[in-house]
Amino acid sequence: MDPESYVGAYYERIERREAKVRAFITLRPMDEVIEEAKRSVERLRSGRHGRLEGILIAVKDNISTMGIRTTCGSKMLETYVPPFDATVIERIKREGGIIVGKTNMDEFAMGTTTETSYFGPTRNPWDLSRTPGGSSGGSGAALAAHFAELALGSDTGGSIRSPAAYNAVLGLKPSYGTVSRYGLIAYANSLEQIGPMARNANDLEVLYSVIAGPDERDATTVSAVLEKKEVRLNGLRLGVLDDMMEVSEKPVKSVVNDVLNKLSSEGSELKEVKLGYLDYALPAYYIIAMSEASSNLARYDGVRYGYSSGEEGLWTDVYSINRGAGFGWEVKRRIMLGSFMLSAGYYEMYYIKALKIRRLIYDNIASILKSVDLILSPTMPILPPKIGDVINDPIRLFAMDVNTVVANLAGVPAISVPAGFHNGLPVGLQAMGPYLSDYSLISFARELEKITGYRDLTAPE
Amino acid sequence: MSGMVEVNEELIKRLERLSLIKLTPEERERMIREVKAVLDFFDKINSLDLSNVEPLFHPLAESRLREDSPITGLTQEEALLNAPRKENGFIVGPRIYSGDQS
Repeated sequence: MDPESYVGAYYERIERREAKVRAFITLRPMDEVIEEAKRSVERLRSGRHGRLEGILIAVKDNISTMGIRTTCGSKMLETYVPPFDATVIERIKREGGIIVGKTNMDEFAMGTTTETSYFGPTRNPWDLSRTPGGSSGGSGAALAAHFAELALGSDTGGSIRSPAAYNAVLGLKPSYGTVSRYGLIAYANSLEQIGPMARNANDLEVLYSVIAGPDERDATTVSAVLEKKEVRLNGLRLGVLDDMMEVSEKPVKSVVNDVLNKLSSEGSELKEVKLGYLDYALPAYYIIAMSEASSNLARYDGVRYGYSSGEEGLWTDVYSINRGAGFGWEVKRRIMLGSFMLSAGYYEMYYIKALKIRRLIYDNIASILKSVDLILSPTMPILPPKIGDVINDPIRLFAMDVNTVVANLAGVPAISVPAGFHNGLPVGLQAMGPYLSDYSLISFARELEKITGYRDLTAPE
Repeated sequence: MSGMVEVNEELIKRLERLSLIKLTPEERERMIREVKAVLDFFDKINSLDLSNVEPLFHPLAESRLREDSPITGLTQEEALLNAPRKENGFIVGPRIYSGDQS
């Protein structure tokens, strides 16, 4: 294998399409990547190599990469270069994986369409007038345009699954605690996970197995060993979420129903289930996420790192000016709302209530999973919107997350797999499973791939 | 407490102080409108009777502690790499007191 032509093939595609797609915030120079590929070739020849040896990986720009600028899609961190690697990056490097670049994202992961990025939006390779989903939109687009073989995203309320669905690739939001958050620049700690994205189920599984596992440096990782289970479609009990189908638009329902029929023909037992409280899941999610964000983003003051306006004065004034100028609108709005909901007099009214709704949803999911193996629904309630369509209407934007936030609230794993297309636009199917059933979800994805044929899909140029 | 919160300039200014974010007057106007819209959207949670439900702060019941033994952190040089203003190995910060207080 010739490293120059191997790496060159990816960079040729990037050369042709990246100007329009804009998946990357920082693309590594080709000669650096070729050098790493040469070392991978040597290791492959010697027979002692890693599980990701020589594989090009796109990394969402909120994951710390030593020596490579990490911006979170924000002016606040536009020139920030981490002096350390996130745990998932260390693990990838140890297995021979090669980082090709840092991908575009909604600013500080706050968004569902990658339109709040300080660096401008990423466009969906399947239709350049539309969004690629978000907040890991750059990672999703990089896979759809085949700029990389694998990608990392992060998912707080659907941010891996939304771009997976909208780019016809796979994305897993892992069970909470199975992937270390050390080095993930925090948005909402009790909700988010770094997760794998890939063009097929086998690749997704390898990447997940490399990044998953307990980490001393993240006290919220669990030491439980995950079972690798093979799932058979015949006899599999699938609960289809009625309330989520209800809120989805007709073309989405139609594509998803087609897949459900295919599953039925393979012998899966489909039954309708209801989550209940779906109406309350979105407010609960946003209250919790904004509250945690107001705390997590308090560290950005332009003193130890980050954007500094150069103003002199009292610390409260200097910080306020730096933060007012460094943060984009969506981020400022969420921080201020979060501060409000945690403040005296409102804490009980919003934050605590949201946590109670969280408890109800957690219990309901667990209860449904007693009578079915997996819970299915469309990943996103609508087709990929046109750029500019939803971004100025906060409530419409929130509503895009209705199917995905539930898994983050409950901590259970959730995967999005390509279900089909409507007028050339990708539609995703979401599956949720019991806590720690991540490998079963991936196995389900692999079995589904066999009957739909939807794997290794590249958006036409 | 009733569900309706008075969202006005005073509230937004208070939130600016709480979150240490300075808004321009135009931004403040826009923030008033949008905060109101979002809080209206959240208001439906008040129609639920949650008196017998325990809040779920975190999906995990417990977390682990590691051994209380030192591990290597960043060197001083690494830690200062991204600081905009440095002096003799220190990070230069803004004034803490207003006026002359020595």
